[in-house]
Amino acid sequence: MGHATTHADLGTSNIQLPAFALGFRNVAIALAVIGLGGGAAIGYTGMFGTDGHHFWRAYMIAFLFALTPCLGGLFFVFVQHLTRAGWSVAVRRPAEALAANLRWVWILFLPFAVLWFMGKANLLWVWADMESLKANNEAEYHIVHAKEAFLNPTFFWIRAAVYFAVWAMLASFYFGGSVRQDASGDISISERMQKWSGPAAILFGLTTTFAAFDWIMSISPAWFSTMFGVYFFCGCATAGFSAMILITVRLRSLGLLKGIVTAEHFQDMGKLLFAFGMVFWAYIGFSQYMLIWYANIPEETGWFLARQLGGWAPVSWALLFGHFVIPFVAVMSKWQKRRTLVLAAAAVWMLCFHYVDLYWLIMPEIPHDIGTFKTYGEISAKYADTPSHFGNPVNFLLAIGALAAVAAGTLGTLSRVSLVPKQDPRLAESIRFENQ
Amino acid sequence: MATIVTTPTETGAGQPAAKPTRIYGLLAEFETPGDLMAAAEKCRDAGYRWWDCHTPFPVHGLDGAMGIKRTILPWLVFGAGATGTLVAFLLQAYTNSWNFPMWAGVWVHGYPFLISGKPAMSLPAFIPVMFELTILFSALATVKLMFLFNGLPLLYHPLFTSNRFRRASNDRFFIVIEARDPKFLPKRTEEFLKTLSPVSIETVQD
Repeated sequence: MGHATTHADLGTSNIQLPAFALGFRNVAIALAVIGLGGGAAIGYTGMFGTDGHHFWRAYMIAFLFALTPCLGGLFFVFVQHLTRAGWSVAVRRPAEALAANLRWVWILFLPFAVLWFMGKANLLWVWADMESLKANNEAEYHIVHAKEAFLNPTFFWIRAAVYFAVWAMLASFYFGGSVRQDASGDISISERMQKWSGPAAILFGLTTTFAAFDWIMSISPAWFSTMFGVYFFCGCATAGFSAMILITVRLRSLGLLKGIVTAEHFQDMGKLLFAFGMVFWAYIGFSQYMLIWYANIPEETGWFLARQLGGWAPVSWALLFGHFVIPFVAVMSKWQKRRTLVLAAAAVWMLCFHYVDLYWLIMPEIPHDIGTFKTYGEISAKYADTPSHFGNPVNFLLAIGALAAVAAGTLGTLSRVSLVPKQDPRLAESIRFENQ
Repeated sequence: MATIVTTPTETGAGQPAAKPTRIYGLLAEFETPGDLMAAAEKCRDAGYRWWDCHTPFPVHGLDGAMGIKRTILPWLVFGAGATGTLVAFLLQAYTNSWNFPMWAGVWVHGYPFLISGKPAMSLPAFIPVMFELTILFSALATVKLMFLFNGLPLLYHPLFTSNRFRRASNDRFFIVIEARDPKFLPKRTEEFLKTLSPVSIETVQD
């Protein structure tokens, strides 16, 4: 059906960002500098009781908060090619622009290399300094020692380099190919992108899974969950689809993409956010929780125990209701997904709770003496005042700074290219698309 | 294009009508989905209520052209799903956590039993069953209510007597206005259908 004609306006005024968009980009750059700089200043001076432990965790959360929308965008793009989807062509460019950030987002990871060269990586990853781990917590040392073939600095950095290289390669391949097709209209570009989407899916699955193991799960190196990679992937999908929805809604409200992106596309993006961000996230989160809760093995339950002590229990409950129950009911109906305002509100809401989710994953500390308690009552009495430091401005400054950096990159990309893949063979099909 | 008008006596395959039969409705035949859409909009605007379109494949936008209202099925399915959640919770809570006797055909007893040191009321263990029953109740309610709302199963339909109507499953598009419609008057409705320029109009017996 690719050659059917449409009456949609593919003129420059409809599919090109106007010049003032670069003003938005400059605001985003300023926010990134203020956020990251201000966060670093707080971390350096130790204001608000910020210690190295807290600062580097907060920075890891911020880094992942900026990385996950880009990975979500990449996921969306290659899945459309994998399934040869027609409906999505009209909204694919924002996702491609998000994914294109993966070409430079490794720069935001460099502070961890600095941390490593300063010899203080054990502020975040206790396994980075096995000597001090042995001195402080010998029980944990023995468990982690057995994992040293995998968890050692050399291999860690080789893996990190591989992840970033794979992501940059996939993002360049899909973004670059799509942009070249804008100029040439060459259908063989689509065919090539489809052909490589299978291997892309495998590479993406492996890299995100192991990145989640390396960067988040190894913060508690004695603990493990084989489902953790999928859980992190759900976060990527949540952030990616939310960002896509917000970009598209904003472009439509600027009067762009008129007659190209319709309520049908919003409904389908809403379905994806609903399916991956709410339902699949809850499904995986619960599956992970229930197996560990049921088996009740001390080195496994410790991780969840730390998340239901003192101030962390409300955070866990907030996550259950905020990431799943409330938005699940709110956008279940087809009609809510077709209202751009409701859908945009849901996307903002999900981004906020995606942040809470990352915070919940990374910030809690497992009490070292957790194995010495006899009952749950004893441990919860001792750790009743476990703080969560959620209000510390360093959290928000870093998160907003990192997200603004990615927003600036996305805006810069979008202002250089057309806002739809205008020569894609399935564009006409996408514009005419209607949900049954 | 001249519209072929077929009266009941002609469709009777040569058999004289033994007794006056009731009219089911008027069937208008169209060649393309576009013609059907345009005609459906006019039927909608003329204020007919008991009428329907028959097409060989789903035609996008026909719901709007026919002015079909939103179905209440989702609300009923939501209710059925919530019922499933609640039933699953109460069933497990009663059988695993409460031990008062209850009449359910015979006298039954809850049976609290210590399993791996967990409290008798352990919600995480109940959730898989609550999830499954939610799905089951919703799915069954969807299918059963869909059948009910559509008047299915229906083994016989007056339209099956029309030979032309067989092409509804092949390459033709039909509008039928039923005689029970309050605005239905055989002559006037036929005149109205003619204004939609169908290929043919046929009176269908009940």
